[in-house]
Amino acid sequence: MKAFARRMIGIDRRIIFLLIAAATLLPLLQPFGLPIKVSPEVKAVYDHIEKLPERSVFLISFDFDPSSKPELEPQAVALLRHAFRKNLRVIGMTHWLTGTGLADGVFSTAAAEYGKVRGKDFVFLGWSPGGGALIIAMGQDLYTAFPSDYSKTPTRDMPVLEGVRNLRDVNYMISLAAGSSGIEMWYVFGKDKYRFEMAGGATGVIAPGLYPFLRSGQINGLIGGLQGAAEYETLIGQKGTAVAGMDAQSATHMVIIVLVILCNVFYFTLRGEKGRPA
Amino acid sequence: MIVASILLLLLTGGAAWAAPSALPPPEGFHALDTPNDAGRSLSLVWKASPSDSKDRTVQIWIGEGKGEGEFKIVADFPANTRYMKPGEFPFWAQPAGPGDHYLKLPSSKAFPIEDGKPYAVKLLVREGDQEVWSAVAQATSRADLFNTAQVNNLMFVLAFTGVLLASISAARRNPHVRLRRIAGLDAVDEAIGRSTEMGRPILYLTGAGDMSEVPTIAATTILGEVAKKVARYDTTLKVPHRDPIVMAVCQEIVKEAYIEAGRPDAYKEDSNFFITSDQFSYTAAVDGIMLREKPAANFFMGSYFAESLLLTETGASTGAIQIAGTDSDHQLPFFVTTCDYTLIGEELYAASAYLSREPVLVGTLRGQDFGKAFIMSALVLGTALATVGVIFQTEVFNYVLDFFRDFK
Amino acid sequence: MIFLKRQLPLAITFIMGIAFALQYYIPHPVSEEAITSVSKWMQIISGFALLLGVASLFHVHAVKIKRQVPGWGYSFVLYLGIFITILVGFWGKGEVKVDGAQTAFGWLYDYMMVPLQGTMFSILAFFIASAAYRAFRARSREASVLLIAAVVVMMGRVPLGQFLLPWTWDVTQWLLNVMNSAVRRAILIGVSMGSIALSLKIILGIERSYLGGGKEQ
Repeated sequence: MKAFARRMIGIDRRIIFLLIAAATLLPLLQPFGLPIKVSPEVKAVYDHIEKLPERSVFLISFDFDPSSKPELEPQAVALLRHAFRKNLRVIGMTHWLTGTGLADGVFSTAAAEYGKVRGKDFVFLGWSPGGGALIIAMGQDLYTAFPSDYSKTPTRDMPVLEGVRNLRDVNYMISLAAGSSGIEMWYVFGKDKYRFEMAGGATGVIAPGLYPFLRSGQINGLIGGLQGAAEYETLIGQKGTAVAGMDAQSATHMVIIVLVILCNVFYFTLRGEKGRPA
Repeated sequence: MIVASILLLLLTGGAAWAAPSALPPPEGFHALDTPNDAGRSLSLVWKASPSDSKDRTVQIWIGEGKGEGEFKIVADFPANTRYMKPGEFPFWAQPAGPGDHYLKLPSSKAFPIEDGKPYAVKLLVREGDQEVWSAVAQATSRADLFNTAQVNNLMFVLAFTGVLLASISAARRNPHVRLRRIAGLDAVDEAIGRSTEMGRPILYLTGAGDMSEVPTIAATTILGEVAKKVARYDTTLKVPHRDPIVMAVCQEIVKEAYIEAGRPDAYKEDSNFFITSDQFSYTAAVDGIMLREKPAANFFMGSYFAESLLLTETGASTGAIQIAGTDSDHQLPFFVTTCDYTLIGEELYAASAYLSREPVLVGTLRGQDFGKAFIMSALVLGTALATVGVIFQTEVFNYVLDFFRDFK
Repeated sequence: MIFLKRQLPLAITFIMGIAFALQYYIPHPVSEEAITSVSKWMQIISGFALLLGVASLFHVHAVKIKRQVPGWGYSFVLYLGIFITILVGFWGKGEVKVDGAQTAFGWLYDYMMVPLQGTMFSILAFFIASAAYRAFRARSREASVLLIAAVVVMMGRVPLGQFLLPWTWDVTQWLLNVMNSAVRRAILIGVSMGSIALSLKIILGIERSYLGGGKEQ
């Protein structure tokens, strides 16, 4: 038993990698489809958008790149579907240069589903350098910060931006962030100064760090990781890649939990021996 | 006669009861320039009345000058709304009394308001088929030069600056301030000794930030101390970089460290080298270095993002001793699980001060500690006062609590 | 030269730092115009900083090729990659799609950039499993608490865990909203104090390492 435990404690990590790969792949091939529970912080975002009148201005900042696509793109798709269904005017932009193609692709796909027209129902402004300076520039005059959108169309006189001079005219804003140049920056340089309501969408790793902002009311809602995206898809009644991915995530978590429990069993089995096991 | 008098009395009395009482005009109505704003806005204040209700409406009428010209209606709302909200203004900058009606009237397309021009405002109160006008109030909008609601914020900034400068000055006079020993620092010597014995290099990473970030500055300071020890033991030091400016700074720091250790001949120019600024390209390159050259000790100091686990897990697979220090709290779980020692948050700043004993760093740490002590005291005091205020249903403690609030 | 490298940058830092620290307290439109103006300058400078990064990369790899250091062939591959991306980008005028059809630039983005970045990020899933297996052992009381909390949160954040042990959902929510928030707040306060202190030192010229020199004089 102890020899077995010793062997298992020092198991080749590639076996663990194989188990994780199996846990991720198999549920994708054979989903088991469990119900998704919705958390209050995700519901807060949904409820706020539900209450917005038609043609309200909704700004989404796609502050992520392809590496965070699996977690944040489903959030973006779900939010856009909700916004288009509510006939909101959607303005998109990004602080991450490498995320522009991704963000434009998401807009195009979601808009096509609802027959929304670029320039009339939504606009993707693209990327501009500056980070916090860009937010301040948008807060003073949106048209100076973005004289044209991602497809080089002049932004002034665009029907979707009618009555929108700067960030003070935005009714609701959400930053989908994978790291720095994200939610904190939008709060410090944006909401604190220009007083629009905002929420956050983040990867699973950085979401726990944003709970202080949520609890203090600096953001009114938080969508965390793939789980958060799945909750939002459940709320809008349109399941997508997030709900599909939750089965794989469930299986992977269970495999890690079993591995951790086994590791501790082996550890305690060997603990009685002289010296600590490696 | 008597019967007629009684009848007359009943009739007039009945008439009196039947006729409704006249609607009182709003009490204490006045207009003023909206305080602490960028101009083009007026504020209106009037006293609340116990008979304010949703059946009674208030209309705001505004005209130019002293009211000789035409008035325009700009707002219409129920009388039991638009009160000054508690906590909206600090006690030292309140435009109205607690419980009063307060309404901000910004410039709009319907009625533009310009700075420096006088305007006349009046209220029309209606209930049923009764209505009454208030007196005409006059005000001129102006842009303010200072936001008095934020004077507490400015005071704290100035106080903290003063404390910081005083701490640095005190540390310059006496740099031997007692600093708590950080556990991970004992392991630095162990790590360097292990590398020397095994004849393998030491890998030192300064993180993802640039030179304007606190953790990067701390990382470069610790690098200086590590480089001094490395120079004495003649071990190989490798420092791959993501930022060219950080690389330039580290080159000078390492060179100086070797000179101070009395080993300028042992210094290698290419110990600091630039890889790329792209996150995962850098990570792939460093992982390759770890797998090929198998350093005996890895130091991860500075700020990190998603690449942290990729770096530390690869390092762990090569059997290196790993010491990490970061204020990136979202990466701390990964460092804690994969590294032998982790300096958490401010322990990184403290480590750089502890190792170098530079008066500026030691003094800054002291100043920050005073700041934190103040915040902790304010938290305890504020929570206690707010709780007592709720229990005894009194707002008198708001005079203290307002000092710690952030007003716009 | 010393004046341009030391005194002038320190003077600019001091004046601009004080001016824009005070700007926060001044609501007057002139203050707002000043910050708008400076924001535009910062955007322009940020654009040039990108060029600086590319120029550094070119220089470093040119030196590697010239000296023929081990692995210099990969520097050629880097140059090739940069030039192909730039050429393709100019050819497609920077667009990933034109009239619904994907450009070559879009192809490079969708079929090279996205999978490569995604792959690197996805390695984390495997690494966290092996790290957890190695590190989540109940060696001490604190380690046991960490282990139990980790298992509860892992269960509570996925539908299967919520199905098997429904109470893990509520405990997870409590852990995230109460314990986690409190600890993060504490770390945030500490880190923010550090940032404020550094900013003050930079504005007042006490901290000069950002100028590229060594110790402060």
